[in-house]
Amino acid sequence: MADEILRIENLHVSVEGTPIINGLSLTINRGEIHAIMGRNGAGKSTLANVVMGHPAYEVTSGSIFFKGQPLEELEVFERARAGMFLSFQYPAAIPGVQVGTFLKKSVASVRENPPKGRAFRKELNAAMEQLSMDKSFLSRYVNDGFSGGEKKRLEILQMLLLQPHLALLDETDSGLDIDALRIVAQGINEVAENSACLIITHYQRLLDLVKPDYVHAMIDGVIVRTGGPELALELEDKGYDWLEVSA
Amino acid sequence: MMYHQMPIPSRSEHLWRYTPWSRIHPSTTDAVPDADEVVFSAVGGKTVIPRTPSMQPQGDIARAFLQAAGGSSSELSLHNESEPIHINARASGHVAVGHLHLDVKGSAVVFLHISGEPEWVGVHVTGTLHPNAHLAFGFINELDSNTKFLRCENWDIARDASLEHATLSVGGFRCKSDIRTSLNGTGSSVRQSITINADGSRHDDEHVEIHHHHGHTQSDLVMNSACGGNSHFIGTGLLTIAEGANKSDASQVFRNLLLSKKARAEAIPELEVLADDVSAAHGAASAPIDTEQLHYLMSRGLSPDEAESVIVNGFLYDAFSNITNKHLLEEMRTRLTVHLECELKR
Repeated sequence: MADEILRIENLHVSVEGTPIINGLSLTINRGEIHAIMGRNGAGKSTLANVVMGHPAYEVTSGSIFFKGQPLEELEVFERARAGMFLSFQYPAAIPGVQVGTFLKKSVASVRENPPKGRAFRKELNAAMEQLSMDKSFLSRYVNDGFSGGEKKRLEILQMLLLQPHLALLDETDSGLDIDALRIVAQGINEVAENSACLIITHYQRLLDLVKPDYVHAMIDGVIVRTGGPELALELEDKGYDWLEVSA
Repeated sequence: MMYHQMPIPSRSEHLWRYTPWSRIHPSTTDAVPDADEVVFSAVGGKTVIPRTPSMQPQGDIARAFLQAAGGSSSELSLHNESEPIHINARASGHVAVGHLHLDVKGSAVVFLHISGEPEWVGVHVTGTLHPNAHLAFGFINELDSNTKFLRCENWDIARDASLEHATLSVGGFRCKSDIRTSLNGTGSSVRQSITINADGSRHDDEHVEIHHHHGHTQSDLVMNSACGGNSHFIGTGLLTIAEGANKSDASQVFRNLLLSKKARAEAIPELEVLADDVSAAHGAASAPIDTEQLHYLMSRGLSPDEAESVIVNGFLYDAFSNITNKHLLEEMRTRLTVHLECELKR
């Protein structure tokens, strides 16, 4: 039987009174990778942010369930502690806060039995090695002065360490060169084995390396078509106009 | 001019706009108390020795007042010191005043820790950096939370000499600092960082003057304040670049983090540039905690209080980011960490 992680039912979301998501439904089970593609402004990032609980987004109707529990009463940090993770499109910089200190605090906050001392360092070193990250990263300030690629690697490093049940990846492939994309994809595949994964992307190139089970095309805040990996190729080839016509 | 000959400065003067002289004076402005001594003692092998107090007329009222009030007068000569030197400045009695002069040849790292519970403390630090000298200087204000504090500093920096200057201001309930640095020779530089953590009804006014008298000189000032409760922080900077001091490079950044609706912060950098070929930049920002930073940390499992604390602490640490001397950086961060941990336990 499928292990349901995320269920979204007829979701409507507004930002400052402007409707962005207009009746979206989606279910993701453990072990599944879903990809959402769509034009700029289609509501893809809004979807990721509203699932994570960003206060700027207002759910006007519909419901979101995480592991069968309604999410509306949960604060952002409670969602993270329950096992949800969002890799941000534009992660915030926190000057003065060293990456190493931040990771330790975050892991201690989220994981039920967080590794401590040497065990934590061992796990951290292994994850950094996997992502080809230099140890000097740990003494830098969180995302402060980072290149686009460095920011995305740090997001994936956090995902590996936090071991979420649900990973929301908002344009994680942007700003990455081909080598970095391959390394990041490896990290995503590792986490995706035991969790549910929602990838938001504009491009096929990440989906060559992380094979989605389902691809969804989103227009004006609604999923207008769902298919397999072939849909991503079709969208890259034909764009989105044909979907509007058929919708 | 001596203190009694000086007019009380008007609030229209930049320096006295937010903390007028009457508010920082220990009693009424015509009175000069007979001050107890601030005792300076160096930890380790160095000795702070007494010196004859300067009777040179002073150019401004705060320095003239400290001179008239007496107190202690000491000096320390430094010449290629291999280990950092910690000087404890202990203030006691009702009103305490101390003068300390540092004479620096070669390299040295000095920390001045000031503590005590008098109602009023005044300190005047002067420093002479001889050609090619390098001083890393940390000032840690850990005075009692009921103490009024006046601090004046004057630094003269000769050719090819450099000063790295860091301040951690967390003590005293009303503080006025006036730190002046003169870059007196080609190739001289000053790098200055000030971190202020203000809570309750604490009032902290930090005035920094940096004067580029020669060309090919550098200055860099970063001032970060975190203000909670009803606190009020004022940061004023005066940067001057003299005529002909070409190729001078100067920057001043003031950042204020407002942690409550009643907290206030002013950040006023001023520039007077009389040379043509220079680089001079300044910036000032006052804002509450960035909600995107809060959201990011909360999305990593930190509670709202934890996330706020991490952002504030990081902001305060960040003021020291321009410090390059590792002893100075480590000590200032350590003192800040101790302060923040003590604050958490309160």
